[in-house]
Amino acid sequence: MATSLVRQTKLLSIVTSQFNSAACFRNIHCTAACLKNRAARIRVGKGDKSVTYEQAYHPHDIGHRKGWLSQHTSNLQGEDEAAERVVEDVFIRRFMYGTFHNCLADEVVIKRRGNLLVICAMMIQKLLPSKFYFLIGYSEELLSHFYKCPVKIEMQTVEEKVVYKYL
Amino acid sequence: MAASVTSVWGVRVLSKIIHGHLLPAAAVRHQTVRSRFLHTAPVSSSAVSVSEEPDVLYQRLSVRVKGHDKAVLDSYEFFATLAAQELGLNLQKAFEAPKHIDKLTLLKSVHIFKKHRVQYEMRTHYRCIQLSRVTGSSARVYLEYIERNLPEGVAMEVTKTAVEKIPEHIQKPLWDDGKQETPSQ
Repeated sequence: MATSLVRQTKLLSIVTSQFNSAACFRNIHCTAACLKNRAARIRVGKGDKSVTYEQAYHPHDIGHRKGWLSQHTSNLQGEDEAAERVVEDVFIRRFMYGTFHNCLADEVVIKRRGNLLVICAMMIQKLLPSKFYFLIGYSEELLSHFYKCPVKIEMQTVEEKVVYKYL
Repeated sequence: MAASVTSVWGVRVLSKIIHGHLLPAAAVRHQTVRSRFLHTAPVSSSAVSVSEEPDVLYQRLSVRVKGHDKAVLDSYEFFATLAAQELGLNLQKAFEAPKHIDKLTLLKSVHIFKKHRVQYEMRTHYRCIQLSRVTGSSARVYLEYIERNLPEGVAMEVTKTAVEKIPEHIQKPLWDDGKQETPSQ
C-alpha cells in the first residue's frame, strides 16, 4: 500500500496515547540518544562508587554550588587569548596528573595573578614529605622555564580522598 | 612633598591591616615565605622623591573592575573603598554597572543530531569606583596598591580625567584684539 512516510515518533505517540487510557501504562522512549546531557557527570549506580564534591555536582552548578577550577581573565568581555590559556591549563593538568602519580585527591585549581601562575593541588599522603618537596620544586622549575613566568605550587595533603557521597 | 610622604607611610601601615582582615591566612603565610618569585621593589623611606615640577591633578579617577564571580567583586569593592578612605581620598561613588552575558549555542553531538544543541553563557559582572579630585602621586600610590591586590580572574580598567591649564594661544578670545585683524582677500 502506498502510505505516506510517517515519522516513527508521531506514529508511536498516537499508539501510546490510545494505550494510556487503558490499564496499559508502558511508554516508549523514542527520541534520539542525544537528548541526555553526559558532560562531567558520574551516572548514578549501585551505591558503591565514592564521589568527591567536585564530581558530585554537575556543570550547571558552577557559580552556584561549585567554584571555578581555572581562574583567569581571558574569558571576560573585551579580553582575548582565551584559547592559549585553555591549552596551557590542559597541559598543566596532565603534567600534574603524571608527575604526582596516583597522589591527586581532587582536581587541580589553576590561578593566574598578573604574570604569576599558581597551581593549587590536594594530595593524598602517599609519598614521604621529602619526595613531595622534591616533586614540587621540580614541577615549579620545569613549568617556569616552559611558560617563561613564575610558577608557584600550593599543596595541601589529606590522609584519604575526601568522599562527599556514594553513587 | 608632604602629601606623598604620608601616603607612602599610610600604604605600609594599611598593608598590615588589610592583609590581616581580608586575605586568608594561607595566602599571607605564602607571600612572606615565597617572596623570591614576586620580585617586589623594596619600599623604603628613601624611595620618596621630591621634584620641582607641579603634580598632575586628576578631576576624576575611575576604576572599573570586571569578573565572573559577583562575590569576589563585592569583597574587592569593600577593600578598594576602605583603602581610599584610609588614604584620605574622596570617594565619589561606588556602583555596579549591569552585567553582560555572552551566549553561545553549539551542536551537542560531533556528527549529525542537528536538533540537539547545547547553550553556554559567559557572564561578566562590573563594578565601578570613582574618586574625585586626586593628585598624581596619590593616584599612583592608590593604583599600585589596588593593582597588586587584584584577585585572580578579575580584570581592571582605569580611566583618569586630568585637569590642565588652558594653553596660552587660546587663553584670550580672538575678538578681543579685533582692531588689529585685517580681513584676508
